[in-house]
Amino acid sequence: MLGRIALILAGATALEFFTGGSKYRNAWPVDWLLVATAIVARSGGFGRSVLTGAAAGLLEDALTESLLGLNAFAKAALGYVLAFFSVRVMFGGALAVGGVIALCSLANDAVVALLRSLLLDSPIVLGTPYALWRAAATGVTAGALEAAWSFPWREWRERRRLRRLR
Amino acid sequence: MRFPSVRAEITPRPRRGGALLASVLVLCVLALSAQAPARGQRGSVLQSWILTAASPVVRFFAGASRAVSGAGDSAAQTWTARAENERLRLQLEKRDEELLRLRAEVRQLRGEQTMKASAPFLPVVVGTAPVLLIERRAGVQSALVGIGSAAGIGGGSPLAVPEGLVGRVVTSGKNMSRAQLILDASAAAGARIARTGELGIVRGDGRGGLTLNHIPTTSRVRRGDLVESAGIDGIYPRGIPIGRVASVEPGGNLFLDIRVVPTAPFSRLTDVLVLAPFPVRDPAEGASAVR
Repeated sequence: MLGRIALILAGATALEFFTGGSKYRNAWPVDWLLVATAIVARSGGFGRSVLTGAAAGLLEDALTESLLGLNAFAKAALGYVLAFFSVRVMFGGALAVGGVIALCSLANDAVVALLRSLLLDSPIVLGTPYALWRAAATGVTAGALEAAWSFPWREWRERRRLRRLR
Repeated sequence: MRFPSVRAEITPRPRRGGALLASVLVLCVLALSAQAPARGQRGSVLQSWILTAASPVVRFFAGASRAVSGAGDSAAQTWTARAENERLRLQLEKRDEELLRLRAEVRQLRGEQTMKASAPFLPVVVGTAPVLLIERRAGVQSALVGIGSAAGIGGGSPLAVPEGLVGRVVTSGKNMSRAQLILDASAAAGARIARTGELGIVRGDGRGGLTLNHIPTTSRVRRGDLVESAGIDGIYPRGIPIGRVASVEPGGNLFLDIRVVPTAPFSRLTDVLVLAPFPVRDPAEGASAVR
């Protein structure tokens, strides 16, 4: 499981840099590290989700923030919340997953803004068009991944094979 | 997004998870508190090490990304090459005429004492760097650029593109640096309205725009005026375009509320020019005086 988590985080980081290095970075700005946290949280382990969130956030902080721990704090908390949703609440379907993760993206912004305001006296900037667009892109991507994951590919392939034989 | 096989093995323990969450959050708070006194400085040593260590991976993926988007662009350009060729030929003719006119003007201007006087304040380009990542979250507008201390770049080096000012390097690793964009909610620069010569302070609003502060209500500033760096903040050289005035409204006190649209294309930044830290010389003494 640890190897799988490492693989998911590495994939998310690679995607983050792949899209971030392109001049079309604003076309579909997905928060891949949040998606990675959600993927781990979806399996239902509280501890793993929290640690994955913290690792993902710390990685983000190391490269883009002036203080280490802002995103780690936010994403660890979101990992717990997502694991809670996954275990305790009826949580399934592309729409529900996409919606919750879009909200989590906005919550991540809110927590980081609050911490920055407390620690750095920075003005609280929330609800910008870009933040909303990223929340939407992250939610839609997560919803699409959920749909792809829960789609009965084996039955579909079997049905297709039978249709061809006829 | 689901791991059915794994899920079956897991017995979720929210209480234990809660304790772990609390520990992680406390650790984060401790780490943040430890760093908080260093705010306003030019990044920590730890961050500098992290940037250095992460540089090869980031450059690899960013390079792959640029190669893919470049290949896509060149495929698209093949379709429009003929029309573009024609357009470029016409443009070239126009530019030739312009060049002749400009050469005459340059001859007139050469030798003028004003240029000589302002020479120490003009920006000196140290090199160019690719933009590897741009982060925009909760008012933070930062970028990772592919140049670092190996090329002699340290904290405080201004970044610009031909269209205008971009920001400044905050922390530098060996081959990669973190920069604060001028759009950041905590960023500010000394600015001058090019037409009227009035001085003010440009601040990022964290949303992709800028505000120009400390311009009195008696000012003749109007929509469309160019705002450029004034060279009074000890960071940015004089005369780099920052933006154009988008709106002018009376503010609460004796100052105008001026919104500025940046001239640099922040949404499509691919490479930036790295300028020498400013100011380097005192024009009166000719001596080196780095702030």
